[in-house]
Amino acid sequence: MADLLQLLLAGASVGAVYALTALGFVAVYTVSQVVNLAQGEFAALAGLVAISAVGGGLPLPAVVVLAVGTVVIVAAVMQRLTIAPVKRMTTLLSIILTLGVSTTLKAAMLLIWGAEGRGLTPFGGHDLTVAGVSVQAQQLWILGVTAVVAVAVGWFYERTLAGKALRACAEQPTAARLVGISIARASLLSFVIAGLLGAVAGVLASPIYFSAWDSGLALGLKGFVAATLGGLTSVRGAIAGGLVLGVLESLVAGYVDSGLRDAVAFVVLIAVLVIRPGGVLRQRAAAGI
Amino acid sequence: MPHVNMLDVGGLRAGYDKLEVLHDVDLRVGEGRLLAVIGANGAGKTTLLRAVSGLIRPTAGRVVLDGRELTGLPPERIAAAGLAHVPENRLVFPSLSVADNLALGGWTRRRTGKGAARRSYILELFPRLAGRLKQPAGTLSGGEQQMVAIGRGLMAEPAVLVLDEPSLGLAPRLVGEIFAALGQLKAEHRLAIVLVEQNARAAFRVADEVVVLDRGRVVTTGTPEDLAADDRVHAAYLGGGYPTAPT
Ligand SMILES: Nc1ncnc2c1ncn2[C@@H]1O[C@H](COP(=O)(O)OP(=O)(O)OP(=O)(O)O)[C@@H](O)[C@H]1O
Ligand SMILES: [Mg+2]
Repeated sequence: MADLLQLLLAGASVGAVYALTALGFVAVYTVSQVVNLAQGEFAALAGLVAISAVGGGLPLPAVVVLAVGTVVIVAAVMQRLTIAPVKRMTTLLSIILTLGVSTTLKAAMLLIWGAEGRGLTPFGGHDLTVAGVSVQAQQLWILGVTAVVAVAVGWFYERTLAGKALRACAEQPTAARLVGISIARASLLSFVIAGLLGAVAGVLASPIYFSAWDSGLALGLKGFVAATLGGLTSVRGAIAGGLVLGVLESLVAGYVDSGLRDAVAFVVLIAVLVIRPGGVLRQRAAAGI
Repeated sequence: MPHVNMLDVGGLRAGYDKLEVLHDVDLRVGEGRLLAVIGANGAGKTTLLRAVSGLIRPTAGRVVLDGRELTGLPPERIAAAGLAHVPENRLVFPSLSVADNLALGGWTRRRTGKGAARRSYILELFPRLAGRLKQPAGTLSGGEQQMVAIGRGLMAEPAVLVLDEPSLGLAPRLVGEIFAALGQLKAEHRLAIVLVEQNARAAFRVADEVVVLDRGRVVTTGTPEDLAADDRVHAAYLGGGYPTAPT
């Protein structure tokens, strides 16, 4: 029983990081049908910037602001340079373009930080043992911050006019333009949100899962699978998809073979594409955000 | 009686890629006037409204709104300048509530703080919407969605309202309600209205002026009375000359 709880906790904690990454995919995809393959690199970059900032002696809040700010700027510049100039964007074209950005970011990170992976210092607090389950303080940070961010993202899309404007662009772009919403600005805002989410994921995850120039690859892939599991356009779906994928990986690694952990995402992706190309948790069409 | 031309379209050419659909179209609408544009399927009515509101870029000619040249601007700028386009097929935001659809209609005026007053005016104009503010717009009937689309356009407090076939697929009673609202808007609010319609009979009842569009050209202009008296117009658009079924 304690074994199972231990695996569930580990799964939920990594799943929360997948969920944040998945939310980044959803934020961008709903507005512009762009699949942003650099989403994982946002997290890697945030982790590496944070590690350097800690090395430079900055306190944690400043570290977080610096890491998130850097990634948000990178995401905004990326949108301006590669997405905004394209007249007729298609998902395939977006995959090619963002793959290029992802490769460029990886190369830049390799040049700046070298090949070695490292972890950020944990945020603080004591690890504890509850009912035979050992809980790392950083896992609680991950779960807590993810919960807060998820609620904030939901509130933004459901309660604020700017959030509703993004949904309007996703559902009915022609009508959105006719009421005066600029699709170009909406797309830029969606990248800023994706950068923010990716950066939060990267900073939270770094103490446990490490950051390296190439750590965005696996994270991006798993975040994408989680988003697809939730239908690619749903906030709730992305969060649920991330948690499900994380827990599934943890259970497979614990009860079957730890070498199979990374295969889980691929199997899930294939299963989703075969069974429900529209996504497993999808309920409403277009933008069920 | 002289009118200030709120919307002045001259020499307009527009189309899609290499296909020119509109060839040299002129039209003018004064304050408090309703211009009906009629024409067969494919005549270019929708293309005309799209070129006016900036959804497609005119290749020649001008679009002037209240003395301000808007030709070639993107739709969000034209909307902010005071032109509301209620598009063909309504295009409401389906998962958003009626209230949110209206709120987004006021996007360009979101900092004026007058949204609540505009909304109550729209709910007086379309009382059916009052009880449905929380309902997702996609779950409304076609007529109610049309009302949402018009209300959304009005939330921007436009000077010019252009509508693309608002009667399409609606029961006669709802068509009556919608056209009565248009009459009220031009009388009470001095709105300049361009109404594209296939339902020429209904359009003739509210129009001050009618233009007939045929294969991308204006072929006839006049008052509804003039045009109803024109045998060719009558035959082609008011159904006078053709038997509806073999006897
Ligand atoms: N997106 C498009 N791309 C290419 N051609 C188009 C496009 N939209 C319309 N057309 C063409 O332009 C011409 C005019 O179409 P338009 O939609 O303006 O006609 P309409 O008068 O609104 O017709 P309807 O009464 O059926 O709505 C048609 O020949 C149509 O095939
Ligand atoms: Mg049309």
